[in-house]
Amino acid sequence: MKVTFPYMGTVVIYKKLLELLGHEVIVPPRPSQKTLDLGVKHSPEFACFPFKTIMGSYIEACEMGAEAIVTSGGHGPCRAGFYSEVHQRELLQLGYEVDFIVFDSIYRDKDRFLQQVKKLKGNQSWLKVMKSIFFTYQMVREIDKLEMKLQKIRPYEVKQGETTKVWQKIEKVFDKVMIKQELKAVVRQGYEWLDAIERAEVSPMEQIKIGIVGEIFVVMESSINMEIEKVMGELGCEVERSHYLSEWVKDNMLPSLFKNSHEEEILKKGEPYIEINIGGHAKQTVGQIIDFKERGYDGIIHLMPFGCLPELISQSITPKLSKEYDIPILTLSLDEQTGQANNRTRLEAFIDLIKNKKIRQYSA
Amino acid sequence: MRKAYVGIDVGSVSTNVVAIDERNDLLFDYYVRTNGSPIESVKKGLEKLKKSVDGKWTVCGVGTTGSGRQLAGLMVGADVIKNEITAHAVATINEVPDVRTIFEIGGQDSKIIFVKDQMVVDFAMNTVCAAGTGSFLDHQAERLGVAIEDFGSMALSSENDVRIAGRCTVFAESDMIAKQQFGFSKPDIINGLCLALVRNYINNLARGKKLEPPFVFQGGVAANMGIKAAFEKEIGQEVTIPKYHHVMGAIGAGIIAKEEIERTGKKTTFRGFHALQTEFLPTSFICNGCSNMCEVIKVTINGQVAAMWGDRCGMWQEKVRNMNTNINIS
Repeated sequence: MKVTFPYMGTVVIYKKLLELLGHEVIVPPRPSQKTLDLGVKHSPEFACFPFKTIMGSYIEACEMGAEAIVTSGGHGPCRAGFYSEVHQRELLQLGYEVDFIVFDSIYRDKDRFLQQVKKLKGNQSWLKVMKSIFFTYQMVREIDKLEMKLQKIRPYEVKQGETTKVWQKIEKVFDKVMIKQELKAVVRQGYEWLDAIERAEVSPMEQIKIGIVGEIFVVMESSINMEIEKVMGELGCEVERSHYLSEWVKDNMLPSLFKNSHEEEILKKGEPYIEINIGGHAKQTVGQIIDFKERGYDGIIHLMPFGCLPELISQSITPKLSKEYDIPILTLSLDEQTGQANNRTRLEAFIDLIKNKKIRQYSA
Repeated sequence: MRKAYVGIDVGSVSTNVVAIDERNDLLFDYYVRTNGSPIESVKKGLEKLKKSVDGKWTVCGVGTTGSGRQLAGLMVGADVIKNEITAHAVATINEVPDVRTIFEIGGQDSKIIFVKDQMVVDFAMNTVCAAGTGSFLDHQAERLGVAIEDFGSMALSSENDVRIAGRCTVFAESDMIAKQQFGFSKPDIINGLCLALVRNYINNLARGKKLEPPFVFQGGVAANMGIKAAFEKEIGQEVTIPKYHHVMGAIGAGIIAKEEIERTGKKTTFRGFHALQTEFLPTSFICNGCSNMCEVIKVTINGQVAAMWGDRCGMWQEKVRNMNTNINIS
């Protein structure tokens, strides 16, 4: 079966898992202006930005011959829960009869989850499936660790752009990995490349650490968030995201046996501000802001798709959080109309604000 | 010769050039409509500046700001290129040291800046819509057949409150037409527009944030007394308008350049007034490297490529870097 998936973050991972399960994988092109144009054209006007981007991505994948789409469902009352349905209808109207394999959280409906796994499993043995899942999970954990390290190196690189190039190399070698020994080798190789990047010495006063929180798709997919991590890195800021694929897999796909409780902790931190689950990642956003502050971060960038309901709620809480926890928060709302220049101005001013705050803290 | 520092603010609607002395006092200011040609506007400003300071003052530092800061910075050889939020705040804090809240309304954007102990602690910029900005007022003044300069005094002569929907430019316009047809007087409608603009500004930008006095109101729109009155009515407090409210961004850029030069002790990178004669040509092309089809801006100085930007992948920017861009244009 020729399968494809929504493009989000480190796509080598989904590709690997599906390949190990014996499928022919069609990786859609990284979202570009063409993707957005297609997506906007074929989406309801009021749908959110992730919906439109993914719509465009699906159309491109279908043009490339995809027969089935593997995707995840939504959380709680967020509209994302209906998205696969609407996407499928729209694709059908365009003449693409594709099968949808939707994974909701395993905790919501175990039977349905297993049913979907069976669809994907085909003739493979359960042992092989378990092994494949476990292997890609290890892989995604390693690649996420590498990325986290890389995000702490980029602001100090001497040769501008070198870190980004190293990352592209890392993604490329990870793509070739099939077995455990190879994984070990590329991980070692990855760290060697990272360590070889020439770095400038910067005093702790001038080191700025920024946490990026918000709705998962705009946080994880750099092509639609103006490459915020790269931009912030080049402006001299260490960054960490609130979402990494390995975390997501751990929280939604693995039985609780393998879990540690970081996610639970985050949710607990958000609890005093958003009591009930309102869908999307609003509660996490609030919890993550507090968590970043407690871990010594200097500022927060909050990303939301324009018109995202859950994040609108968290946005209205941010002034209060910013005051109570004494941490600057900048909310950017993104969609296909986003003006880069305007946001660049905001980011630069935000960094100035944090720099001044730090200088004052150190001189006090 | 005494030391002067130059600040240039290239905005969407106006281009401002100022010079300040070492005590941040204004020596020269120039305000012109950009009219879509930022390069010409900056050149004009520099020519005027040259006439006023040449021979008496030496330019020891240059800063640029505003949406055209990159282009202007490259053109004049700026020591610092700063975003307009920081630049505005720096200038205001210099003028009104105890300021807590800055309202800035320019041609196409509006900002609110929160200051505490002379430090920016928070800010917001208008996002999706220009209903709360100078261009909106400009347009409505034209509709009503009133010169924008008379707008403020007419608003002050209003006797009745007229409520106009200010959420969106298009709706505001149709609402205004309806009010005209009801028979309200021009001053009343203009006053209603001012109130609507301020209401919209406060609702959009100050959302959920506490407004602390003293308040300072600046930007081109601050020339409009009707808006000042509307602000005072809305927040119930006095609002100060700095003397040089229309060039605050440029003043801030000048101050930042001065501080930078004093801090680093470096010599300025200002190209000098004779740079006015160099041929400075920005062009754009669509890059076909991938399906992003970025609009790439290419700037040449005397025929040599000096800078490129606008490419999402950074390919062209890197090419320019690798070309070793020590361009000699003197």
